[in-house]
Amino acid sequence: MLEPRLSEPRLPEPYGQWIDRTQAITFSFEGQAYSGFQGDTIASALAANDQWLLSRSFKYHRPRGLLTLAGQDANTLVQLSSDPNALADRVLITEGLLVHAQNFSGTLNRDRNAILGLLAPFLPVAFYYKAFFRPRGIWQLWARFFRKRAGLGVIDQGFKPKRFAQSHRHCDILVIGGGPAGLAASIEAAEAGADVLLVDENVALGGSLNYGDADLDETPDALPRDALIATVNQLENLEVLTGAICNGWYADNWIPVVQGEHLFKVRARQVIFATGSLEQPVVFRNNDLPGIMMSSAAMRLTQLYGVQPGRQGVVVCGSWEGYRAALALARAGVRVSGIVDFRARPDEGHVLVDQVQAAGIPIWFEHGVDQAIASVDQNHVAGLDIGPLQAGQVARDPVTRLPCDFVAMAGGYVPTYQLACQAGGRLLYDDAQAAFAIEGLPDDCWLAGSVNGVWHQGPVQADGVRAGKDALQALGMTGAGGEPVPKTSEGLNFVWPIFAHAKGKEFVDFDEDLQINDILNATREGYEHIQLVKRYSTAGMGPSQGRHSALTVARLVADATGKTVAETGVTTARPPFAAEQLAHTGGRGFFLKRHSAMHHRHIELGAEMMQSGAWFRPAFYGEAADKNACIQAEMNQVRSGVGMIDVSTLGGIEVRGVDAAEFLNRVYTGGFKKQPVGKARYALLINEAGVVLDDGVACRLQANHFYVTATTGGVDSVYRSMLKWNAQWRLKVDIANVTSAYCAINIAGPKARAVLARVAEDVDLSAEAFPYMGVRTGSLGGVPVRFIRVGFVGELGFEIHAPQQYGEALWDLLMAAGQDSGIQPFGVEAQRGLRLEKAHIIVGQDTDAMSNPFEIQMGWALSRKKAYFVGHRTLQELEQRPLTRVLAGFMIKDINTPQPLESHLVLDGNAMIGRVTSCMTSPTLNAIIGLAYVPVAFAEPGCCILIKVDGGQRVTAEIVSTPFYDPESRRQDLES
Amino acid sequence: MKLLRCPLNGLRNISEFIYGGEVHPLTDPRHQDARAWAEQVFFDDNAAGVVLEWWCHRPTSYWFIAERNTVTDQVIRTFASSELYAERVTFPRAGSGDPHA
Amino acid sequence: MPFGLLKYGLRKKHPGQHHFTPTKPLKSRYDVVIIGAGGHGCSIAYYLAKQHGITDIALIDKAYLGGGNTARNTAVIRSNYLTESGVNFYRDSVALYQGLSNEFGYNIMMENRGQLTLAHSDAAIRSFRWRAEVNQHLGVRSELVDRQTIQELVPNLNLAEDSRFPILAGLWHADGATARHDAVVWGYARGACQRGVELHQLTEAQGIEIEAGRVVGVRTNRGNIACGAVVQAVAGASSVVGKLAGIKLPIHSFPLQAMVTQPYKPVLTPHVSSPHVHVYVHQTSRGEFVIGGGSDPYPLYHTRATLDQREILSAATLELFPFLAQAKVLRQWAGTTDMTPDYSPIMGLSPVQNYYLDAGWGTWGFKATPISGKTMAELVATGKVPALIQPFELERFYRFQQVNEAGATAASH
Repeated sequence: MLEPRLSEPRLPEPYGQWIDRTQAITFSFEGQAYSGFQGDTIASALAANDQWLLSRSFKYHRPRGLLTLAGQDANTLVQLSSDPNALADRVLITEGLLVHAQNFSGTLNRDRNAILGLLAPFLPVAFYYKAFFRPRGIWQLWARFFRKRAGLGVIDQGFKPKRFAQSHRHCDILVIGGGPAGLAASIEAAEAGADVLLVDENVALGGSLNYGDADLDETPDALPRDALIATVNQLENLEVLTGAICNGWYADNWIPVVQGEHLFKVRARQVIFATGSLEQPVVFRNNDLPGIMMSSAAMRLTQLYGVQPGRQGVVVCGSWEGYRAALALARAGVRVSGIVDFRARPDEGHVLVDQVQAAGIPIWFEHGVDQAIASVDQNHVAGLDIGPLQAGQVARDPVTRLPCDFVAMAGGYVPTYQLACQAGGRLLYDDAQAAFAIEGLPDDCWLAGSVNGVWHQGPVQADGVRAGKDALQALGMTGAGGEPVPKTSEGLNFVWPIFAHAKGKEFVDFDEDLQINDILNATREGYEHIQLVKRYSTAGMGPSQGRHSALTVARLVADATGKTVAETGVTTARPPFAAEQLAHTGGRGFFLKRHSAMHHRHIELGAEMMQSGAWFRPAFYGEAADKNACIQAEMNQVRSGVGMIDVSTLGGIEVRGVDAAEFLNRVYTGGFKKQPVGKARYALLINEAGVVLDDGVACRLQANHFYVTATTGGVDSVYRSMLKWNAQWRLKVDIANVTSAYCAINIAGPKARAVLARVAEDVDLSAEAFPYMGVRTGSLGGVPVRFIRVGFVGELGFEIHAPQQYGEALWDLLMAAGQDSGIQPFGVEAQRGLRLEKAHIIVGQDTDAMSNPFEIQMGWALSRKKAYFVGHRTLQELEQRPLTRVLAGFMIKDINTPQPLESHLVLDGNAMIGRVTSCMTSPTLNAIIGLAYVPVAFAEPGCCILIKVDGGQRVTAEIVSTPFYDPESRRQDLES
Repeated sequence: MKLLRCPLNGLRNISEFIYGGEVHPLTDPRHQDARAWAEQVFFDDNAAGVVLEWWCHRPTSYWFIAERNTVTDQVIRTFASSELYAERVTFPRAGSGDPHA
Repeated sequence: MPFGLLKYGLRKKHPGQHHFTPTKPLKSRYDVVIIGAGGHGCSIAYYLAKQHGITDIALIDKAYLGGGNTARNTAVIRSNYLTESGVNFYRDSVALYQGLSNEFGYNIMMENRGQLTLAHSDAAIRSFRWRAEVNQHLGVRSELVDRQTIQELVPNLNLAEDSRFPILAGLWHADGATARHDAVVWGYARGACQRGVELHQLTEAQGIEIEAGRVVGVRTNRGNIACGAVVQAVAGASSVVGKLAGIKLPIHSFPLQAMVTQPYKPVLTPHVSSPHVHVYVHQTSRGEFVIGGGSDPYPLYHTRATLDQREILSAATLELFPFLAQAKVLRQWAGTTDMTPDYSPIMGLSPVQNYYLDAGWGTWGFKATPISGKTMAELVATGKVPALIQPFELERFYRFQQVNEAGATAASH
């Protein structure tokens, strides 16, 4: 075995492209200080310091280290104060950064939970379904145990988020991926004049050109990286976003791009997916030890960060990519002590074989890996046991042990298919090539580069150019599309055997600690469909969402079920591509607020505001602690003197035209044809199922002009519904929602007329000239207004509607005019109390989702003479059946009785027979009054009902006729 | 987000629109038996395929009709409701010849 | 102690058996065909076999076992509904859930963590009190709770009085629970298959044979089967399948989206829901936060997710739990929900004799899985509609007699 590893110095320039060696940075990991350079990620800096152990796996707490070094695996998840699940191979180190590892007990190096690995045989696939439920109810306790052990990072519950910004981008062509294909595509498109947005998730453009060794790519006609990037930088209509991830594809090329703390929402007319490929691991026993990484990870370490992946390593491969990696590493001065190649020695030889042998690197052809051997502390790879391949198995006779402290796996590739498949692409599998292909993209999406099955620089760049041309043609910016580039025939994927080992621990899914047998046992237990395998075993459900397990799982399942990989498939790719903080899509939390034109007056007068949908309305004026007293005082003021309330939020709809009355006749239950000009009528709205939806008052201002009010919460939907009806009826009528164009005040009380008369102009307010339910126009202080005499609160009252910009002026005018009469403002709570004393219903409170007009005693609001109105037909059916309930008024004379609340039940013995919808202790009547649904048999005045109040006590109430207050309605008709 | 082409306002984000239900020919409820009427009120095609449906562009309160595939979500076309509803609809009073009753 | 796991470690050969039906051809006839092998379909098959001794059943599904809404579920179990019919129904379902793991020997991982629904307006308080009163009357644990109690139940909930939608009160449902949705369907399916029911996946019903007003067979992509009775339990596809039998339904199929975060150490115990802000959140035993909200705004038979909904859910979640800004969304998805006009299901007889309906499950289907299976099985076995589901008959719409649960569902309609 190798001796304990010493820290190696960094490779000399030009290695370490992304680090700045003049800027040293100190940070800590698990309490220990480390130093790195500006440009290092946490993982690369730790690797440079020989700290390869980064985390403990989810189930067995096995030591884990970097795998892709590209932010695509979950082994590198660490805990930061700003992010409980940060990717160590993405986050750049900063001075003083505190980094903690996750998911261990004790220390990272010696995790006490690693003992769970010994229990592995007793933890078969989906083990939690197989036990932990006897005796009954025991899972509740086990769950707590598992919950503590599950989960990765620790969320900071005191975290105070700052709002992340969002902005939009529109472009002709979005190119996703700034590797050679993406660069070539962007240049082609931008040079033709298109607006291009090029996005790459790395800190710099270049993709595989950055970490690959271009000299080893034997296609001379490709452009070098620097030339491509220079051209990109010169093109003004080509915008570049680096360090930016396209995190999903949504309908009509709507793509979120996350860059730092910013979310771009991009709308592209055409999208080119140049997303590259995901290198795949090789499966063998202990393939998860730190130090065992993708060959591209080893390349990234050396090229981008100047870090040696180890002192001595082995490349395991089934394609020439492994050879290229070995040569590149050797060129960097990294000692590669061998290549294990699954394939047989090529008969005709190969230039890469010659080059590798010339470099003194031995090759074991037709060999596979039996297992990796761990170091003494179990936390790192120390050797690889390999053997000849015989009939798809690794023979153990002879076994050769290769000492090594790193292994570069070149196990083949899967196209980075996620975004393309979200866009509608289908993954096809070619069994012969052992490779996926994507087809079926919509006609505004294109593929370019290795994601399209094209490899090697020359063809890749040509494919990028082709995609650019195709996108331009789709935009109508060129005549011809691009010349198709043939898919690469060199076998980049080899159907390498999956090396099962008698002792297991050959990891198929690193996130979920799943071994080969876990997958096979899932199928044995009947979970054969790939979706069932996923859900039963949890393969692909971890943080890396199957990036490195999908193909292996598909192969295992295909084999076990006697199907092809193509038939088996992989599970669905869903957004987001990379895990994305809620802060991004949470945005600035824009929730609408609506204020009436008189809002400030309420605040100045000390109103306690309440929310009614998005509107803010005064509930009452005064301190919250004095709520009941304030409300009662406001009610008394209206009954005995005069009060005024801001009712601007009430809906207002103008209905104009020769068919105005006919239209209202059809929409509402009442009759409007014969309604005189200058009169207002109650307007009840029901739907086709006969359910009460809304109500208001229809004021006939002219023969062909009605002004109709609606509830605050209902007006927008009433308005839209009116328009939809008329789109079908095509009556000659114009309908306008003028709710926010008008403000309104209701002034009510015996002194209301007197107050108003002081400031009203051009209107005769006398009882003879302006009767109850009349409508007039005039002005107040020069402001043109509509006056409606309504009686919602049961006193002499005038509702004044004015253009909304006069809101404050109107308020001030009336307050001044009423000062001598002692006018006070009153709020929504007082209004609700006053109307209850008159037993006026509030739609949505006294009606529910099933209330019809008969139940709420509104038969009088139905016109029997009309030919048609919405819901009429249903009412005719309902009328033929007996009513099951009616809304009735009740009273409890003793105000010391516990007061029923809204929704308290009415009981008969043990049966629920109804419920209270409104209830209050009335200051005017000095009794408890309310409305309740009761069966018809209980609804006659004089009947007694039992109401169950808080605490379970039942109180008796008497049904009384309504209104409770001023039953003859004389108060709203006061002469003086 | 998805785009929808309003016949009046052009291509807009789907968040500007409100779905308004399936398009059905207008009938006179008085001429339907109770069961047929109940079906009209509550039941619907809910087809998996190409359907005609109402949409409202909320900022301009403009109602129009879309032909959409409810499986692929592809909008085939959108058009003014006047294409299907061109005539003024009346509900003549039984026995009365007055179209404006 | 989990002694059940010992055999896995002690035996050389994996002792697991096939839980379902190994792929095999359809017979030419079955007593009962159940279309839809989701939670409900499997539950119906299970109770038919277990409680009524009817085992000659073909349980067919056009996709994989449980691959419809059960697979896509946010898996909340509760009975704090509004109507007497609804509360009785869901209460019995929750009771069945309590013993389910032991009933069929499969851990459904049910946790009684409680469910808190938040009121941000007086209207909501009114509506919650209504539910609490009805619930308590019928033996379901629900109560209206104040801000202080809410603070104690969910200490990390945002109760700031100056937040955009201040929390005024809550409905605390101690009986609220969550379970592993897949385990429920697998447990029922295994229990049914152990008793002789045949599960046929990738088997699509393409036609219904009717003679003299009675169902006599089902045509599938794998062959035609004669049968004595059919139950359709296909959720979002209810109208499509119903049409095969010439049945009209008052159903609209809307996507319902959800999303899940990466796993974190536990910080949230109960399930929290805010109909006002349109979001509900709970943290699973794996440590992931599952987040759902209101239905999509227009009908669709495609289970795609949208960025719009992810934005809405994120903004709403941060209203309630601002600190979750740092949590990362791992995946979003959707199911297709069969919504009804009154937010109650459609169960029982159809216009076609011996053709039974288990439909209209909208966003309230998972919690009803046991009771719907039990009652539908009773109906199929005896021909009589059990009293518990009588109110949910399709015929109620012809009488304009809705059973309206609009206030008690999570949907935003």
